[in-house]
Amino acid sequence: MSEKANILFVDDEERVLRSLEMLFKNRFKVHTTIDGNEAVDICRRDRIHVVVSDQRMPLITGVEVLRRVREVSPNTMRLLLTGYSDLEATVNSVNEGEIFRYLSKPWSAKEITNIVNQAANIALSLEQQTNVDTGGVAPGVLVIDEDPSVVEMVKAICGKERQVTWSVDLDEAFETLAANDIAIVVCDIRLRGRDISAAVKALKEGNPMVLTIVQTQLQDVETLRSLINHGQIYRFLPKPARRGLLEMSLEAASRRHVSMKSTPQLTARYQVEKSDPAPVAALSTRLQGFLDRMRSGTKSI
Amino acid sequence: MAEQAQLRQLVMTAPGIPPHLLVNDVADMFMDETHGKLLSLPVLDGDRPVGIISRARMQQVLFRQYGRELFGKKPITEIMNAAPVVIESDMALNEASKTVTERLKFPVTEDFVITEGGRYVGMGAVMHLLNAMEAQLAAQTEDLASAYKQLKASQLQLIQSEKMASLGQMVAGVAHEINTPLGYVKNNIEMMEMFFDGNRELLGACNALTDTLLSPASTEQELQERLAVLAALRENRSGSEDEDMLKLFADTRFGIDQISELVQNLKNFSRLDRAAAADVDLNECLDSAVLLARNVLKTRVEVIRQYGALPRISCMPSQLNQVFLNMLTNAAQAIEGQGKILLKTEAEEGWLKVSVQDTGKGIPTDVLPRIFDPFFTTKPVGQGTGLGLSISYQIVQQHGGDIRVTSQPGKGTRFTVRLPLAPPAAQTPESPPAPPASQGEAA
Repeated sequence: MSEKANILFVDDEERVLRSLEMLFKNRFKVHTTIDGNEAVDICRRDRIHVVVSDQRMPLITGVEVLRRVREVSPNTMRLLLTGYSDLEATVNSVNEGEIFRYLSKPWSAKEITNIVNQAANIALSLEQQTNVDTGGVAPGVLVIDEDPSVVEMVKAICGKERQVTWSVDLDEAFETLAANDIAIVVCDIRLRGRDISAAVKALKEGNPMVLTIVQTQLQDVETLRSLINHGQIYRFLPKPARRGLLEMSLEAASRRHVSMKSTPQLTARYQVEKSDPAPVAALSTRLQGFLDRMRSGTKSI
Repeated sequence: MAEQAQLRQLVMTAPGIPPHLLVNDVADMFMDETHGKLLSLPVLDGDRPVGIISRARMQQVLFRQYGRELFGKKPITEIMNAAPVVIESDMALNEASKTVTERLKFPVTEDFVITEGGRYVGMGAVMHLLNAMEAQLAAQTEDLASAYKQLKASQLQLIQSEKMASLGQMVAGVAHEINTPLGYVKNNIEMMEMFFDGNRELLGACNALTDTLLSPASTEQELQERLAVLAALRENRSGSEDEDMLKLFADTRFGIDQISELVQNLKNFSRLDRAAAADVDLNECLDSAVLLARNVLKTRVEVIRQYGALPRISCMPSQLNQVFLNMLTNAAQAIEGQGKILLKTEAEEGWLKVSVQDTGKGIPTDVLPRIFDPFFTTKPVGQGTGLGLSISYQIVQQHGGDIRVTSQPGKGTRFTVRLPLAPPAAQTPESPPAPPASQGEAA
């Protein structure tokens, strides 16, 4: 690509900025600022393809910066780079910042180079987006959760507009995904006492059009970080489920799905980092079969 | 609790005297050796005690001139004590003892009457009652001592867990403080490796060119090739590499110094040895606490230091650090949005004074008296154990000092720690801490 992407780094430590600028200055046009508010102004003014922000800064948090960047420049890819494991900030980075990656300090130069390159390529390719006319019936919602009150709540919110399918079995759930037009999956990351986060990540890898809303009691920064980077979950909500929150999330996911349908390139924004093969291998072979079929299915889009 | 001694066990059997019995006959009863231990005999109407007659009273009457002639033929009721102390046998020992000491007129010469449901059962001796009381008190003292020992052990545990809890919060903050310099240091080193690889290649090409130039056997073509390689390598360079490298080195060195400083402070702070150090500079302790509290202060709180010249004192620095960190954290948490914390130290008349004053929301008057109570907290769950100030209070008290607080709701709070210049001789860290008491008063 001949055109250099514009990258913006935000951190209150200027040595971090100097270090990152030197790492990227040959490849991109690098902008830096120690002021989160200025970062938002830069994104409003200039065409910034990727913004990488620190979380803990004076006056304004990184999540707040990314949330406002999302408003003023929705196409900018947003990444959080933080040295502090703060659960609330991590949850907000998903729900408000809709971030592409959650990176930890200290980072690896090679890893951050790869990820920023990937984000820049996605942002550049989105600039040549084409619109496709969509129509027809609204795609359905799949609920994977053993708690019947959750599916009741989803049904109550969706009414007659959307078909809601309920499954408490992973194989069955993936069968539903393969056979039906599913836009949104509402799931827990524990099902019948088992951790199904590997499946939640595989689901997104296999079908990038699907938006995942995770509702769980589990509150762990590392799990969440992995769900962001490997699963690109769309929302992370606490349990017990709250109707208002779930309703807002479902509406946002529906809108997002519509724009993804009309602009398929948008799907690239939700590219996941490949998971470790080990947990995915732990999925049943039958499930693996569905995954393979879905993967071949997405290639033909 | 020790087994409760019973009043019943103190009952001495004594024959009852009918009210109409003559003084002379009663005198004979006292002469009877079987009643030798009794100081008094009861006068009974049936089984109801109506009085007692003591050996001493008897002697007083009979020893006077013509005593026997005057009183010998009279009924005993004439000279008996008609208002004896009567104790029901189910009365608790301490209560019985209280009644006896309050009401017995002649405790050395009289006994008291023991009844059950108003009916006479026997006599009781004051001496026996006192012995029983003493045994009971000894048992209670032992119970108290062991309860105190247990309390002290659990208190030490509480201090330790509060320390761990505040350490946990602090470690999370310090991890961030360390991860920031670690982030750019690592990135810089990885970049320096890349630069180094480039430089090595360039140096290799220079050396090859020099060798070719110096070798008599070199051909023109070889020289051209070497030059071309070098030129190509030079082409790839932006020209700012060396300058960049120098900047990276300076930043890296700065970052490593910063990490060292943090680790050093962490080490000083969390030293688990309880030994007192002889020459501690409290200003340094405060600086160390400020550094560790940086993650709660940094974003919005300005710290103003007004340090006086302080003589070094003998104290336990790791414990005082805990006190100062606790006060700084409280002060920072009291400030909503932007604010200031004033740290002031001064020495005066045998005391060191350290005050931490914030521009926070202040402490409501009704809350102020309780702030030193263990487990009292107004912070949301997970943000405070309610032990911080109570433990700070104990630590300062163990150092022979005190903590004072003045607060104005809406304006701010000032905590002042006073420590004696000379350490208290009797009080060692092992001495039992007095229960914390609130010293608060609204300004």
